[in-house]
Amino acid sequence: MRQLLQIELFKIFKRPRTYISFGIVTAISLVIQLAMLTDGKSYMGFAMQGLNEQFDIHGNIINGYFITYIILQSLLIQIPLLIALVAGDTLAGEANQGTLRLMLTKPISRNKLVFVKFASSFIYTVALIIWLAIMTLFLSLLIFGKGDMINLKSDTFIMILQDDIMWRYAAAFGFALLAMTTIASLSLLLSAFADNSIGPIIATMGIVVVLTILSNLDLPLFNHIKPFLFTSHMIGWKGFFDDPIPYAAIAQSAFVLVVYTVGFVAITMLYFNKKDIKS
Amino acid sequence: MSAILEAKNLSKSFKNFKVVDSLSFAIGKGEVYGFLGQNGAGKSTTMRMLLGLMFPDSGSIYIDGTEFNNSRRHLLKNIGAIIERPDMYGYLTGWENLRMFAALSGKKVLPAELHEVLEIVGLKGREKDKVRAYSQGMKQRLGIAIAMIHEPGLLILDEPTNGLDPQGITDIRNLIRSLSRDHGKTILVSSHLLYEVEQVATSIIIIHKGKKIAEGTVSELLHPDDTLIEITIEQGGALQAQISNSAWGKFAVQSDARILTFKMNPALIPELNKWLVEKNVAVYGINTRHSFESYFLNLTNETTAADRTV
Amino acid sequence: MRRKVCLLGFILCAALQAQATDATKLFDSLRNKILLVKDYSAEVKMKINVRFMRIPELSGTLYFKSPDKMRLERHGGLSILPKKNNSLMLRNLIPPGHATVIDAGITTIAGKSVRLIKIVPDDENSDIVLTKIWIDEQQLLAVRTETATRTQGTLVMDLEYGRYISYGLPDHVTLTMDVKDFKMPKGVTMDYMESSEVKPSEDAKGKKGTIQIRYLSYEINKGISDDLFKER
Repeated sequence: MRQLLQIELFKIFKRPRTYISFGIVTAISLVIQLAMLTDGKSYMGFAMQGLNEQFDIHGNIINGYFITYIILQSLLIQIPLLIALVAGDTLAGEANQGTLRLMLTKPISRNKLVFVKFASSFIYTVALIIWLAIMTLFLSLLIFGKGDMINLKSDTFIMILQDDIMWRYAAAFGFALLAMTTIASLSLLLSAFADNSIGPIIATMGIVVVLTILSNLDLPLFNHIKPFLFTSHMIGWKGFFDDPIPYAAIAQSAFVLVVYTVGFVAITMLYFNKKDIKS
Repeated sequence: MSAILEAKNLSKSFKNFKVVDSLSFAIGKGEVYGFLGQNGAGKSTTMRMLLGLMFPDSGSIYIDGTEFNNSRRHLLKNIGAIIERPDMYGYLTGWENLRMFAALSGKKVLPAELHEVLEIVGLKGREKDKVRAYSQGMKQRLGIAIAMIHEPGLLILDEPTNGLDPQGITDIRNLIRSLSRDHGKTILVSSHLLYEVEQVATSIIIIHKGKKIAEGTVSELLHPDDTLIEITIEQGGALQAQISNSAWGKFAVQSDARILTFKMNPALIPELNKWLVEKNVAVYGINTRHSFESYFLNLTNETTAADRTV
Repeated sequence: MRRKVCLLGFILCAALQAQATDATKLFDSLRNKILLVKDYSAEVKMKINVRFMRIPELSGTLYFKSPDKMRLERHGGLSILPKKNNSLMLRNLIPPGHATVIDAGITTIAGKSVRLIKIVPDDENSDIVLTKIWIDEQQLLAVRTETATRTQGTLVMDLEYGRYISYGLPDHVTLTMDVKDFKMPKGVTMDYMESSEVKPSEDAKGKKGTIQIRYLSYEINKGISDDLFKER
């Protein structure tokens, strides 16, 4: 098992495509950081229009913590794509390359292979999230400095003292990892169905985009199904920047994501075990 | 002879299309078993079932007397295989690919053994190149290296000479012979070309549209007495009658104005030729082809390899 | 009889006059006392209670310089003050210049009897329309003000005194003010949860907001440079 995992990781990290994701995370972070460096004040002015009429807010508003939040928020849509890029390719890409049939002529159980594919996607996700943390949090702090953090919700203005932030980010990145692991497991499932890797990547994105729209639509019709969509729970990391922190809701979201993840992996195993390898 | 691999009534359909139909055969230990059929006859599907890549709709497979699907992982340790194209990880080097699949083979493989097998398949010196840069032939060789790295008793090779140049084809042929003769391996080798199989195989099975249509040892199926000999002459005419009245009459199969066809042991060709010369017949060419090959070619409508001049 | 009535009327008028004069005097002396403070810096703890705001208690140094400069320095943190932050100062809730002062009698606040006066500024362009001040006459301290303004609605300030009573500077101030609601498109913020599920704190209901400031220590009239108040 360990050897199989080592081999999977070797394959993932030997491949140039894997590093595209790290490049994209770097690029997006840098672009937003640059934009905020030049235009941050007017952006904030726009965002806090309603508030600035009544309150004078001074100090390093556009600080590293704030920028990190902005980047994380906008990466919400892109990161799943980057996860799918690797996780969606794990089975389908090998089928497409023809290496899957060679793999499976070796004495490896298919369940174990699926699990190892999931585990290696998870490790890749961990690496990407750590890189994300470095590029967003640490780099932003380096560029923009520290400060109290402002968090704007649609109807709430939240301010968090700077000494109270780091642990929230640790928790938030941990939660983001869970959310992205769910995406990885979804990609893996779709990957098992396909014999080319573009399909699962596009399908993962399609599902995430459509469900995210449903999760954000404020229509009574959708309000009943929202709690059951994993996309509604993927932004649970934001809960750590609320006041008070809705621990119960976060725990519930985490639970939903874990259930989805386990479900996706289990279905992948069930399906893949019976699949004829035609590629 | 105990069967190392036995297939019983294998059937497999894809969307109501029967690809393999009640196929049964057995391969004895140490045999080189030629698996013959035109493209789409069901060879690859059968081989995939033998390796557990596909699941038969019905029927069963036994390897060393053990039901395959119940102990797939255990039995695969003693099998090496190439199925269809030799696909590898293009972004990895030949060495990395080989080492990786060796690690998955269930046997501890030492670096020295890796070098040895690269030497055998003739890839020594190119192992540090990315597989992406390999020719089809080199990939095929690497595929064979991967199939044999863990020293399995049974090799399943699906069209192993596909895409190789003539030298490569000869090399692989020699390798198969050597693996069988010197290392005692049992080999199932498929091809859509009879002459390729006949040179290495001890037994042959022909399948067509998923069904077995012929099976037997090479000596049975390709008995020399069944060789078709075509002699091109200037003109026939009165010669036909002379042949019928001579000792050669019993070998004559059919004749037209310029081509006389005999079915007989090629050993008799010099004598026949001498007889024709004595009859003042100008011989322009002599072609030999086995009748079984003709039969197979008709079956497969394959004409590319039809005429081989002796 | 007629003379008696006249006399009574005169006495009454005089009394009223005297009362008005007393109230004006009281107001003037209170204002003078307040104006004695030219500048200060104070270590403060500030709590903002506004329905749509979740802000922890902020510690910092509050700088003030007469007549209307104010700045909260949070040593690397963010400072939040009401837009018209001079309303945090008692002196700015009291109309400047000439004003008509009306005595509204004695009333009690927190068990203490205090005098309520109403002040209407003479300047018709003044932002302040009317200020009510509840005054502890013995110590000459404003314990509550209620100021109706043209632009900021009604501002109520409650003051508690302690160590800096001689300067008329409070230890604790609660400013209650009108607050407009805050909304941003959900598509922009992509909220995780509806905030309505999070209960607002008790004392921040409705459209009123309060700002509580605890003054831990003052440094008074030590002179503060104008540079300190410049936008940085």
